[in-house]
Amino acid sequence: MKTARELGLGLCPKCHKVNTMQTEPMQCVRCHGLFYQRNRNSLQYTLAWNIAALLAFIPANLYPIMIIYSLGIGDESTILSGIGQFVDQGLYPIAVIIFTASIIVPLIKIIGLFVLVYKVHTGVRLKPDKHSKIYHILEFLGPWSMLDVFVVALLVAVVELGFVTSVAAGPAINYFTMTVIFTMIAANSFDPRLLWDKKLIEQNGHIENEGR
Amino acid sequence: MNNLPKTQQVVACHLCDAIFDKPQLKQGQSAKCQRCGSTLVERKVDSINRSYYWSIAGIILLAPAILLPIMGVTLAKQYHNASLLDCILVLIDRGFFMIATLVFLFAIAVPIVRLFGAFYIAISFKYRRLKPSMLNFFRAYHHLDNWAMLNVFMLGIIVSMYKLIDDTELSVNLGLLSLVLWLICTTMASLTLDQDYIWETLEQEFADEDS
Repeated sequence: MKTARELGLGLCPKCHKVNTMQTEPMQCVRCHGLFYQRNRNSLQYTLAWNIAALLAFIPANLYPIMIIYSLGIGDESTILSGIGQFVDQGLYPIAVIIFTASIIVPLIKIIGLFVLVYKVHTGVRLKPDKHSKIYHILEFLGPWSMLDVFVVALLVAVVELGFVTSVAAGPAINYFTMTVIFTMIAANSFDPRLLWDKKLIEQNGHIENEGR
Repeated sequence: MNNLPKTQQVVACHLCDAIFDKPQLKQGQSAKCQRCGSTLVERKVDSINRSYYWSIAGIILLAPAILLPIMGVTLAKQYHNASLLDCILVLIDRGFFMIATLVFLFAIAVPIVRLFGAFYIAISFKYRRLKPSMLNFFRAYHHLDNWAMLNVFMLGIIVSMYKLIDDTELSVNLGLLSLVLWLICTTMASLTLDQDYIWETLEQEFADEDS
């Protein structure tokens, strides 16, 4: 099986038209957009956004995400303590959903992208078919971690009964959105085709060396 | 490199870069990559018409979905409800500019732009009024693919209802129904749009100008 790269072809990421690569960047003959054969500096960008996401994830968990005022007394809760309240009330399904969306998914995304970048860089035990599936899942999961942000935004807007009860957003919400957006950009800048390229180089590596 | 395949007759997988001969598909069929299993090309059934009607429905539902109150709470004889737009106004009012911007972008602006984009594309294909600017327009349309989060917002509404239902008297308003319908319409309008068909038609339309 040939890849487009071996034949000197490139796929336009926007309109999915196969172009003959004459220049880099190439202007697509169909949609006139500029593109490269592979995402440029894909691994570096992914790694950088990923580290930024990891850094933003720390204050996101330490600071309170929501402050509930009732009769003027504020009650702060972080992401984890919010989940704890659901468990205390016996609302397990919701606790599981929030825990998945706001702790497990971002962590899995960050760790998963680190692993993928590491695998592409070193080529150790690389299984492109399996790893590109993992990438697909990571890409799909992206927006779902915004759940907690939307919940807080809704609560702030709906529960606004003046002195009796009101809800305010805590500083963690900004860090948390930053985490989500950074991981989404990181996943977008990763190029899954690099997985297959690396595998091909691994397989053909010594044959080419012997030839030269 | 003598047997360089004509770029017209091949397709490449966007996930693993494998090259295949271009399959001839009927409506409703799709071709999968043999190496990684992702979808190569897809012919959607009656794409333009379906996208047209879904986007018209979406545009009709736009105003009620944004303006009607989604839900309200009653506590200590005080009642307060909020629509999607109120939600953003309250957030701005109380100084949470960052989440206000984000909710506005991901739950209102991006879905609206995508909805009108799908409508514009569908209507100009339906009546065959294609302009060269369509190339740039449809290319830009793809940038927004990842950033519509209305479905996540929906789940957010459900979760916050669970949060409120214990301590307060919760009432659900018409806004929620229209928001659900609007979500379905916007998603379907962009899902039914057949990208490969649109790009191929555009290519044939403007091929002469390029060469």
